Amino acid sequence: MNTYICRYCRQPSDPNSPTCPLCGAPVDIRSSVSDSGWVEQPAIKDMARLQFGQSHLQIAGTTVPVAEFNLAPNDWIYFSHHVLLWTDPATRLTNLPMRGGWNRKMAGMPLIMVEGRGPGHLALSDNHAGEVIALPLQHGQQIWVREHRFLCATGNIRYDWYPSDLWYQTGDDKDRETHYPMGQFGDVFGSHEGPGLLLLHAPGNAFVRDLQPGQSLLVQPSALLYRDVSVRMSLHLEYPRNMGFAFWHGRWSYRSVWARLFGPGRVAVQSIYQPPEDTDQIVNSSYATTHYW
Amino acid sequence: MIQCRWCQAQNQPGTTSCQTCGAPLDEKDKVSDSGWREAPRLRDMTEFQFSGSTCQVEGELVPVAEVALHPRDGVYFEHHVLLWKDESVPLSSLNTGGGMKRTIGGMPHIVTVANGPGRIAFSRDAPGELVVLPLHPGMELDVREHAFLVASHSVQYSFIRIKGLVNLLHGGNGMYVDRFVTAGAPGMLLLHGNGNVLQRTLQPNEKILVEPGGFLYKDSSVRMEAAQMPLKTGHLRHGMYLAEMTGPGRVGIQSMYVHHHAD
Repeated sequence: MNTYICRYCRQPSDPNSPTCPLCGAPVDIRSSVSDSGWVEQPAIKDMARLQFGQSHLQIAGTTVPVAEFNLAPNDWIYFSHHVLLWTDPATRLTNLPMRGGWNRKMAGMPLIMVEGRGPGHLALSDNHAGEVIALPLQHGQQIWVREHRFLCATGNIRYDWYPSDLWYQTGDDKDRETHYPMGQFGDVFGSHEGPGLLLLHAPGNAFVRDLQPGQSLLVQPSALLYRDVSVRMSLHLEYPRNMGFAFWHGRWSYRSVWARLFGPGRVAVQSIYQPPEDTDQIVNSSYATTHYW
Repeated sequence: MIQCRWCQAQNQPGTTSCQTCGAPLDEKDKVSDSGWREAPRLRDMTEFQFSGSTCQVEGELVPVAEVALHPRDGVYFEHHVLLWKDESVPLSSLNTGGGMKRTIGGMPHIVTVANGPGRIAFSRDAPGELVVLPLHPGMELDVREHAFLVASHSVQYSFIRIKGLVNLLHGGNGMYVDRFVTAGAPGMLLLHGNGNVLQRTLQPNEKILVEPGGFLYKDSSVRMEAAQMPLKTGHLRHGMYLAEMTGPGRVGIQSMYVHHHAD
């Protein structure tokens, strides 16, 4: 009986294969863990194969990896048309409309997904140097993913999206602006009708950490890649002590806007991110804790 | 002798990288199940020869091509890819023709020429790979705009205007494609591909559909036409077009690109 659990995708795996057949993580390497407990997600080896359903995919390249699918006749995946790199003429491509079109449009999210159905080959890639992250999901398992990090999912993975819990407003009553440091929406993927496979693209490197119940952590909002749905989030604002050199600026010019994460559960961050831009004083926000140094 | 599987040049036994293109000779080719071959990743500080000159590749994330020019050799390039040069290396400009039309198309109509002796180095501004393409006499290669890094002076540089309204409006490759041609003498062409670069050789009449932003180069024998997919995309639900490549010949793609219909 196979009792090996892949330390990266947390699924029963094959210890005799050089890479995990479900997530592509190398089996034969030592885990790289920082002193504070972040586990570096190893890059999927060039040309590694991952199995799902009757189909498989192969990862080509290491700078901006390409996910090349060999789809069996009854298997299908969906993705945004922006990430399609090439396809066989035989692969059937059709539209997969998404609900909430106007809100998705306003949030800069794709309105329509493309469904690619086998038999045939197609390949997907993002446009950032980084890593492809494969997350096999068991039946009923759900995961939250930051918007725009989704690369593709197998047909049995349900895709929902919810307004972000993190926002703040600046400006006066006449000219109020709402900011979403983690994006306006968050994606939630859940597997139904058996196990499925979710692929993300992480710009830069990716790191994973398990939070214990009640344990909290501050991360740059735009660096969060994915989290278990059991992990809760809120806003945390931190203001440095005024050192006297910034009398012409408000203190908010040097503030930090954090996402506070509460365990239990798994969280993953990416090393390329965009810090929130300096804006005016915050006049309203989602639930937030504040600290003045 | 060892034959390089990338450029087919012969190398002395015991050499670990090709003297003509720098490809590692002691590594297996990386070919996906559907036949895409990764362009060889040149090892840091690899050297190769062209004409009487030497090119050394430095760095792996955004590689630099450092050329030591022989007194009788020259190279040409778009001026903004020049990273550094010896003070003594003379520069001149070469008009490629097409003037205002090329300028409107966002393409240079003047390239810069550097002549030996001396050292000069080039790089583009994105993570990616150097693709070394030694050109045998009588070859014609089409390259997407702004992917060309540097070419030896024996390679003729021209451009072809993309024909057909559908190709122009929906092809995603702009108005022009650069064309590099060798006549009687061999030459050297270096491209910069964003992300990873993959190449596939199409058989006669074999077809593949490629996102136009991902297209990097092709043999001129490969036909490229915009093909409409049975899909609607974006808020305005406009049609989706891919570049249909029809063999025979090589097609090169890059994995990092801006989608031509990004909205």
